[in-house]
Amino acid sequence: MEQSSLPARSTSPLPGRPASDTNLADILERVLDKGIVIAGDIQINLLDIELLTVKLRLLIASVDRAREMGINWWESDASLKSLGPTQDAERSRLEQENGELRERLERIERALGVGQESDR
Amino acid sequence: MSSDVDRWAAERAAELRARAEAEAVAVLRDALVAASLGERARGRARESTPAPSPQARAEPGRLLWVYCVTRAAEAELVGVPGVDDAGRVERIEAAGLAALVSSVPRAEFAEGPLRSNLNDLAWLERVARAHETVLEQALSESTAIVPLRLCTLYAGEDGVREMLAGERDAFAAALDHLAGRQEWGVKVTVDPELVTEAARARHQGAKAVEEETAAHGAGGAYMLQRRFDRDVRELAHSLATELAERVHGRLEAEALEAVTRPPQNRDLSGHEGEMVLNAAYLVEADHIDELREVVATLEQEHGALGARIELTGPWPPYNFVPGGGTAGIA
Repeated sequence: MEQSSLPARSTSPLPGRPASDTNLADILERVLDKGIVIAGDIQINLLDIELLTVKLRLLIASVDRAREMGINWWESDASLKSLGPTQDAERSRLEQENGELRERLERIERALGVGQESDR
Repeated sequence: MSSDVDRWAAERAAELRARAEAEAVAVLRDALVAASLGERARGRARESTPAPSPQARAEPGRLLWVYCVTRAAEAELVGVPGVDDAGRVERIEAAGLAALVSSVPRAEFAEGPLRSNLNDLAWLERVARAHETVLEQALSESTAIVPLRLCTLYAGEDGVREMLAGERDAFAAALDHLAGRQEWGVKVTVDPELVTEAARARHQGAKAVEEETAAHGAGGAYMLQRRFDRDVRELAHSLATELAERVHGRLEAEALEAVTRPPQNRDLSGHEGEMVLNAAYLVEADHIDELREVVATLEQEHGALGARIELTGPWPPYNFVPGGGTAGIA
């Protein structure tokens, strides 16, 4: 009784039947990051870089939410460390862009004689 | 009249001959340039045509996708569908080991197309599920398998045999390590509302103090309410973390090895509540019933926070291959 309430995967799927009921996140986090890495004839050591967009889609949303909750189990996982600096770089780029846009807006407002005047 | 023409012709002959020669040279030069450009273009075309594979049994236009490695005597799995519809699963044996492979088209799996396909989530899902399905079937027919990471590709059978022979010691050690053991996944989710409620209940004492001091006027009451909300939020965080730590600690005690992973993205996993633990455990195959019991008990113990503990497996031992992950075999 107790066991049936646990959603365990079938231990012997029928040959050829795709296990489409298995959570895609469960599969991707395994096949993309884990398993033995052997350099075959097709070089995809670019895996880590090229898959970044998918990795970001996989992780960022959930990771940010979890950090909010104070959950940070995976911090020791080396494959994810690279996400930190990437986020930081993105943030500082946005901050810089924001500053530049603000300066441009002020210059335009000054040139047009609006903004400061209308505030008073 | 004619003598005038003759005289004119005689006077201009040298000039006309020179002009005719210049024109002929120009035409010849253009023809030569065109011919040599054509030659170069054909040469380039010849260079960019892929050299025919030296391996005798490599099919033209196809590559071999490797799923996993087992002992040679195991995983008789042959003929089941692979990653590509046109390539059924085959076995390649060498050095007492067997690799499960199937052929895939170069047009889809060579470096260039692979690069863009890997960033297409629908393509990636199809390939990842097919890879996983073959691994699960192999797992159910073997004492142990070593799963290879997605997209391990060879030009032909000889390359796969060389790989097996070259890494035989590492594969043999990994197969010994994993024999009779299973990877199981555990994900714990909580109901954020119930967690917040529990945190608020625990904070009642402070709340009473707060209500007493609320007589300090509207501004004071507002500041106190804000502080109370912040305290409840922090308490809720620590309740969630404590729960995850307790569950992980109990399950780790049942396991030979354990790894923790970041919580999953709801868009892909479709889970409800907040995921506070996403872990995998390597467990003796004859210890799975005990693991199930511990999971059921833990779920009951933490019912107040709406805890749900999902146990999945057995998985191909992705997380527990010695030397797996980023280290790998070169």
